[in-house]
Amino acid sequence: MRTMVKRAMRRSIVECLLCSLLILILSGPAFGGPAVFGGFPPDPAVCYQPPDPPLILAQSSRSSLTEEEREFEEQADTMPDPLEPINRFFFNFNDKLYFWAYKPVASGYKIVVPEDVRLGVKNFFSNLTAPVRLVNCLLQANFKGAGNETIRLLLNSTLGMAGFLDPAKKELGIEKSEEDFGQTLGVWGMGPVFYVEWPFLGASSLRDAIGFTGDILLDPKTYLIKSMPVGLAIRTYDQVNDTSFRIGEYEDFKRNAIDPYLAKREAYHQYRKHKIKNR
Amino acid sequence: MRLSVITMNRIVIIQAFLFLSFTFGMVSPAFAGEPQDQLRQTTDKVLAILSDPVLKSQNKVKERRELILKVVDERFDWEEMARRSLARHWVQRTPEEKQEFTHLFKELLERVYMDKVEGYSWNKISYEGELIDGDYAAVKVKVFTAKDQTIQVEYRARKKGNHWLVYDFIVEGVGLVNNYRTQFNEIILKSSYQELIKRLKTKSTQN
Repeated sequence: MRTMVKRAMRRSIVECLLCSLLILILSGPAFGGPAVFGGFPPDPAVCYQPPDPPLILAQSSRSSLTEEEREFEEQADTMPDPLEPINRFFFNFNDKLYFWAYKPVASGYKIVVPEDVRLGVKNFFSNLTAPVRLVNCLLQANFKGAGNETIRLLLNSTLGMAGFLDPAKKELGIEKSEEDFGQTLGVWGMGPVFYVEWPFLGASSLRDAIGFTGDILLDPKTYLIKSMPVGLAIRTYDQVNDTSFRIGEYEDFKRNAIDPYLAKREAYHQYRKHKIKNR
Repeated sequence: MRLSVITMNRIVIIQAFLFLSFTFGMVSPAFAGEPQDQLRQTTDKVLAILSDPVLKSQNKVKERRELILKVVDERFDWEEMARRSLARHWVQRTPEEKQEFTHLFKELLERVYMDKVEGYSWNKISYEGELIDGDYAAVKVKVFTAKDQTIQVEYRARKKGNHWLVYDFIVEGVGLVNNYRTQFNEIILKSSYQELIKRLKTKSTQN
């Protein structure tokens, strides 16, 4: 059993690796190097506007606004970054990757495929990872989120035509609970440790990188898809489809930053903190 | 025929889940206080300008921008934003430097704001409640943009006289001024304040 899981995981990771290579090949410019890939953890620079905020807006848990506002005078809370030179190198690498590979491929795809279809595909892939969110909700003792995810999975998989439609949200207003294992570790009290900018993967932290591995274990795709080329094609397609919704956001983000690397690192830090707090 | 099946499905679903009642009854009647009212007035004015058909043509872009910025100017406290973005480096600056910096930072923020306002279709804005603590307030807003997208925004405002002036916005947990503070702090510590000014000036000429 354990070897099976291990094998499945290894395959998934290899698929992730190859997936980005495929995008590169599709995009034209020859571009070698090691490749790791996945849509996860969310890169705040790219998904500057996460699509689905948690259903229940947490009523502010801060003790007092005034207190919080005084704190700013003192040292701000930033993410430790001992690997900065390496991180900056990969930041530039990812930046080029976006402009040379993701953007052209996703732009072409966007022209050819109508929005409704792309949205359906996005819903479909999102529905597949419902178990990841469900388990993480449970691990965080977020029973409302777990209940919502269960309803969503059942409803969207059936009436929602295998997840292509989202009747749970459209008809009932039940939104996704974007929970992942990195957040679970955060809820359990683990800090981000330090910032990591992965090539291909983008912004992450040591904690969220561990979380990412955990989520692969919970992803049904890891077990369902036996053939590697198929898994690879699926992950690649998911990524391109996702990017097609976000073209322009990274450009905006970059234009407005004085030091885009620092802006990305801090945005990632704050965004993850916010997600962990508002579960 | 197809339609009626869908309607029936819809009724069945709604009935079933009303019964289970997982998420209903959560709607809290938003009590609107002063900060929210004032912010709403400003936002409504901006939205009115954006939806004005006369101003939509290509050659009216500049005029429209000026109109929007005029409305926004009354609600945003640029100097407070500038002060916060420099934090502990602010006190070390001379009055002239503070003025220059405020001007540059304002220019940058105005552009960020215009990008957000012009770049996306703001279909609807719902007010999700506010929190008042002495002279400080937080107003929570949900912005509904294009298909299937909602963004959580929190405005932070501080009372000056009778006006609640916005000094920060937090989009999905990411504070705008807070984010610039980190950038500015590290640039100043690694090189100098002069370097920061240089980079701000380059930014403003780029656009």
